[in-house]
Amino acid sequence: MSEQSVVKRGTEGASPRRRGIAGWGDPRGRRLGGWAFILNRLTGLGVLAYLFLHLIVLSLLARGPSAWDGFVSIAASPLFLCFDVVLIFGLLFHGLNGIRVTLVGFGLVVDRQRAMFVALMIIGAIALVVAAIHIFTVG
Amino acid sequence: MAQSEGPTPGRIGTTWTPSGEVARPTWGWILQAVSGALVLVLVTLHMIANHFVVAGGLRDFADVVAYLSDPVVVVLEVCFLVVVTWHGLLGLRAVLFDFGFSPRAETAITRVFAVLGVAIVAYGLWLTWTITSYH
Amino acid sequence: MNASADPAYDTHATADTGHPIRLRVFRCRAGDRSGHFDEFRIEVAPDTTVLDALVAIRTRLDPTLVLRHSCFHASCGTCGMRVNDREVMACVTKVLELGTPTVKVEPIANQALLGDLATDMVDFYARFNAIGRSLMRESEWLPDASRPAGVESYNRFESCIECGLCLSACPVVASDPRYLGPAALAAAERAIDEPRGLDPGAVLALIDDPQGAWRCHAAFECSEACPSAVDPAGAIMALRRRAASGRLRSLLGGRHA
Repeated sequence: MSEQSVVKRGTEGASPRRRGIAGWGDPRGRRLGGWAFILNRLTGLGVLAYLFLHLIVLSLLARGPSAWDGFVSIAASPLFLCFDVVLIFGLLFHGLNGIRVTLVGFGLVVDRQRAMFVALMIIGAIALVVAAIHIFTVG
Repeated sequence: MAQSEGPTPGRIGTTWTPSGEVARPTWGWILQAVSGALVLVLVTLHMIANHFVVAGGLRDFADVVAYLSDPVVVVLEVCFLVVVTWHGLLGLRAVLFDFGFSPRAETAITRVFAVLGVAIVAYGLWLTWTITSYH
Repeated sequence: MNASADPAYDTHATADTGHPIRLRVFRCRAGDRSGHFDEFRIEVAPDTTVLDALVAIRTRLDPTLVLRHSCFHASCGTCGMRVNDREVMACVTKVLELGTPTVKVEPIANQALLGDLATDMVDFYARFNAIGRSLMRESEWLPDASRPAGVESYNRFESCIECGLCLSACPVVASDPRYLGPAALAAAERAIDEPRGLDPGAVLALIDDPQGAWRCHAAFECSEACPSAVDPAGAIMALRRRAASGRLRSLLGGRHA
């Protein structure tokens, strides 16, 4: 094998082998910030999907009381309430992690960002439990 | 051993350019942060007003009409819709941009989402008007 | 391929040698459609590093194994690899400290593969050219370090050893071929902080782009992976602060600093 062919292969360069979406979602080897990233992405997309669903459901209001009140009666079923708790989790995680991403992304609190993340998640966990209790006792 | 001519110049010396020929300052992330902060406040208000101070956790039709009869409420809910739609679509745009499409594709995505966002808010305004004018 | 080493010929033998370990090593050559893993059963000592183990494998079990290394002490940036799914410098990663009976060794991700564990770093280096990176830094000297006779002053190299671990760990680099990436962005922040003849405004304008400093999603995996305390994530956030405050100043009608 000649020197030249080795050098040429190196400089022409094959295209990089990217991990693709596995680089987003593969849980192996991931650290705290990596988890925050993928969960932020999943909750963001999930809540956005919920927004579209919610806006479609709200169109029942345009059809008058019988259409909307019919929906209200099924919205109190346990399955719905569980879904509501999942939604609250999504909102809480995305919002609280968003505080971290915003502050850090403007160059603030960068050196203590892991501690801030943990503190925000604790607040979120407490809020989630309070919300879940309220949803299942009142709703 | 044969003398090599060294690395092919131009490849090693390639200069990476971000978005084609010229870098384009973007407001996307900053707007994402600002809209996110507003969503945080408005979604909390929205959830409390619609689910946590309401008997049974959900308003029936008569309650909805009564709720929307207050102009302050209408203004806040419309603001909420604008801000949450903006933040959500900016977020989806960010996810798509993470695939590194061409600058032209990025511009097209931005435009499509702008139109989609306006359409969603227009729908919300229409719905609010329809409910509050129900007889 | 599966192979075992005869401990009687273990050149890394110390008093406490003879801990059996399995290494699953990624193998792939130019022209292969996809790679596969070869398993090697060897015995190691407590201070045997992954690089020691790989060199021993190449010396005694499989001379066709392709890998790169140089300094053996995490200064040259050559032996970066993914070991048990984490980006590390193989020369300072002790096999037994990983705590698994099987150790998986792969090349760093998101780069073109030359063969087995060696990647083509051309794409990585090209990112720095736009920044006009410098090698020396003037800040953070040790003023009270005593100098030997005949040495007038110390030079300090920039921290980055260009190992590519940060780009391997970054979730955005994984999917986005146009993202500038943590290493070059950290170099940009250093270039703006200490211009030394470079035009900091030009560097800032270059990275103020959707595929520059704004593409990062604060996963901080790059700073976790970095073996040299570059903190690329911190640098990217500092760049954003510069870009945002510059934008705010021009919005409020201030003159450019």
